[in-house]
Amino acid sequence: MILVVDPHSGIPVYRQIVEQIRFHVASGVLKPGEEIPSTRALSASLGVNPMTISKAFVLLEEAKILDRRPGLPHVVRTQRGRKALATKQQQLEQALRPVVTKARQLDLDTDTTLQIFRNLLEDNTR
Amino acid sequence: MNPVLEANGLTKRFDRVTALENISFKVSGPTIVGLLGKNGCGKTTLIRQLMGLHLPSEGSVSTLGRPGAELGHDELASIGYVPQEIRLLDWMTVGQHIHYVANFYPRWDGEREQRLLDELEIDTEALVGTLSSGNLQKLAIVLAVCHHPQLLVLDEPVSDLDPIVRRKLLELLLELMRDDAATIVVSSHVLRDVEKVVDRVICLDRGRLVTDAALDELKELYAEWLVVSDNGRLPEEFSESFLIAQQGNGREARLLVKDASTELASFSSTHSVSVSVRPLNLEEIFPVLIGEQL
Repeated sequence: MILVVDPHSGIPVYRQIVEQIRFHVASGVLKPGEEIPSTRALSASLGVNPMTISKAFVLLEEAKILDRRPGLPHVVRTQRGRKALATKQQQLEQALRPVVTKARQLDLDTDTTLQIFRNLLEDNTR
Repeated sequence: MNPVLEANGLTKRFDRVTALENISFKVSGPTIVGLLGKNGCGKTTLIRQLMGLHLPSEGSVSTLGRPGAELGHDELASIGYVPQEIRLLDWMTVGQHIHYVANFYPRWDGEREQRLLDELEIDTEALVGTLSSGNLQKLAIVLAVCHHPQLLVLDEPVSDLDPIVRRKLLELLLELMRDDAATIVVSSHVLRDVEKVVDRVICLDRGRLVTDAALDELKELYAEWLVVSDNGRLPEEFSESFLIAQQGNGREARLLVKDASTELASFSSTHSVSVSVRPLNLEEIFPVLIGEQL
């Protein structure tokens, strides 16, 4: 698992960590039962405040992405089929939101926009 | 648990100049607090109050549970302080100076000292009086942290340091918070450095406390909205109460907003506009905190 945080972004670092771990879980890079490095270890390797890491872990526990185990590192929770799919859909939706705004600003109609997206999806040259 | 630092209605006057006015806050650790403000806003005066070097004109200040003026051996042995103007004994070598200071502290950690001397590339044979300002700052930092302080206060610690050493210093601050559960106060104008490590921001402007908040909270509170009209024209001026500042040319506008994320949907539909939200970093938020936006 590689986390890349930008402390100079306006997006709070704990949110960046939450989003990236969510993504890694949804994409299968992090497997159910896999251990996540400790607060200490992540704070040291990312060079961010330990409070920031704890805050991210609390949110990931609440979202049922990670499980807390007393005295041990967090582990990735097993996600059931339907929930796992919902998580993937959420991820993509979030990524597409700015694209929707762009399409509106460019005054492109829905059909054209969908066509572009379809073309990109079916483009096998890359 | 007692707060590590506490100010209640703290006011400091020098003759007719009011350097600090009615300042109140509480800091409980472990935490890293960024003390921000323009030149002359009172940061150093506040730090000197916390260290017991000045007495308040009104109000009170306490450090590790005792009034600033009554700090005893126990408290002083738990404090590390790097002042802005570092005054050390010029005629000693660096090694002699470290040895001299270490003797005052029973909990001095020789291993940490050696590791820092290596990492910061400090020459122990050099005479203190011949050190460059950056090397002097590095020495002052080593002298302030090897006794495992519970409270570490650094007044503009990065001003003379090169980028490599600055990064090492920031790593050291995080390590002190993790390993020693230390409370750290850093005053600095180098907001990019501060932003990397602090979890809380206290901001002064002309002697008054204008912000005391978690850094994440500030980043979530303020944003820039880039607004584009869906039907060609924007109103001359928007009048929503969450707006702090606006700039526009009829078709596009840049809005500086506060606490407005829940207003986004209704704003877009009311004005028929598309909005891209751009989060703001500390350097962009700072002018807003002291009322000098855009």
